[in-house]
Amino acid sequence: MPSVLKSNNVLLGSSWHALAILGLSRSGDLGLRLLWHIMHLIVSIWYFVLGLTNTLESFFISSGLFKRYRCLDISKVQYLAVVIDSEEARETLKVLELLRWLAAIGVLKKSKEALTLWLKSERMSKETTGDQLFEQKYMSLEVISFSDSKHAVAKAANFLFKKHYLSANTEKPKLTEPDMADALEALGYGALEPDLMLIYGPARCHLGFPAWRIRYTEMVHMGPLKSMKFGAIIKAIHRFTTVHQNYGT
Amino acid sequence: MPKHVAVIMDGNRRWAKNRGLPVKQGHKAGGQVLKQLATYFKNYGVKVLTVFAFSTENWFRPKEEVDSLMKLFEEGTENDVRISIMGNISSLPKSLRNRIYSVQKRSEANKGLHLVTALNYSGRYDITEATKKIAGKVKDGIFQVKDIDEALFEQHLATHGIEFPNPDLLIRTSGELRVSNFMLWQLAYTELFFVDKLFPDIDEADIVEALTAFQRRQRRYGGHKY
Repeated sequence: MPSVLKSNNVLLGSSWHALAILGLSRSGDLGLRLLWHIMHLIVSIWYFVLGLTNTLESFFISSGLFKRYRCLDISKVQYLAVVIDSEEARETLKVLELLRWLAAIGVLKKSKEALTLWLKSERMSKETTGDQLFEQKYMSLEVISFSDSKHAVAKAANFLFKKHYLSANTEKPKLTEPDMADALEALGYGALEPDLMLIYGPARCHLGFPAWRIRYTEMVHMGPLKSMKFGAIIKAIHRFTTVHQNYGT
Repeated sequence: MPKHVAVIMDGNRRWAKNRGLPVKQGHKAGGQVLKQLATYFKNYGVKVLTVFAFSTENWFRPKEEVDSLMKLFEEGTENDVRISIMGNISSLPKSLRNRIYSVQKRSEANKGLHLVTALNYSGRYDITEATKKIAGKVKDGIFQVKDIDEALFEQHLATHGIEFPNPDLLIRTSGELRVSNFMLWQLAYTELFFVDKLFPDIDEADIVEALTAFQRRQRRYGGHKY
């Protein structure tokens, strides 16, 4: 972060602290209210500048001007998740364009089938081809919704109860995480954990993506779908392929 | 302002290693930052602060690290902070369990910030434990099978009983862009804020930036404007 903006943040921090202590939200002090609005204006300007910078960078990446983004090693992205805010998902053409971009990058097998699948809002069964190498090289599309998340876990609990607790044996079995994983698998909710998740929407949250499957998923907020940029996707995937993940070390 | 903020405190060891210091210095520095964070959030009106200390996957921690954290809790009880621990406490050493129970008991009447610490915890462990509890209650006739739904699940997670159980904002340090098996169920609509600094290096400016980012986002839950 540039030092000027960093020092602004320190100013914001101190001012915010003062405001909080004085209980700005309840006080009528005009001077402090003005300071509050100035703070938000500064932050808004900062985000605007950041947005412009990102747009410019995405353009340069799409144009192939940055050498390091030209050769993308997508083999590290075995499973890519894309989360789209429910309101924005209604922009069907934008969604289709996103799928086409992902197909162009090479993380999606065939866009035509994906488009059909999207329009039907059905789950796609894994395509089988005679070409094993082809199947290994590309990924299939899985379309899921909110019902695949918490509702699925509740169904898995139901399944485990019937499997382990319904016997006459009064001793309560010791359920483990593998039991839970097996239950989700048996019910058809046991797909792989995404390596990378791209989130499109106004809020930076995963919107209830199946909780069981996101332990170590890298999550990148891409902004609103209407402002999506091809260069931003390339950048996110490139960053993922170069990141070193620490696991409690 | 968010009511519940969660923090993944990542980077104490790397912070110490980068400075050529013993690891315990990193935990000491992290402990001081945690104390500061509790003060900041309390002043900003946050009611619940949940921190991720140790997961079920990397629980094997040196004694200094654990002692440092427990000492922090004991100091917190004297500052009107309510301390709660969530996670698999039963598998911890007995002496540590006793200290935890003591701290929780001493602070339960405190009305200040509610500091929840996840020790020997993981999101999957939380979900599995909730499943066990529910299945056991169905077996005992307290519930019926048809009662098992998402709402019942939420009542059996480790966060049940906390005034605001689901975090509004998650802050994760050290530049990692993932939740690392933390509160997997509870984070569905949590604003995710990733800081590219090691935990002992974060300061009030980073907290302000996170809070500001939370306030600026238009928040929706499943199609409903929030």
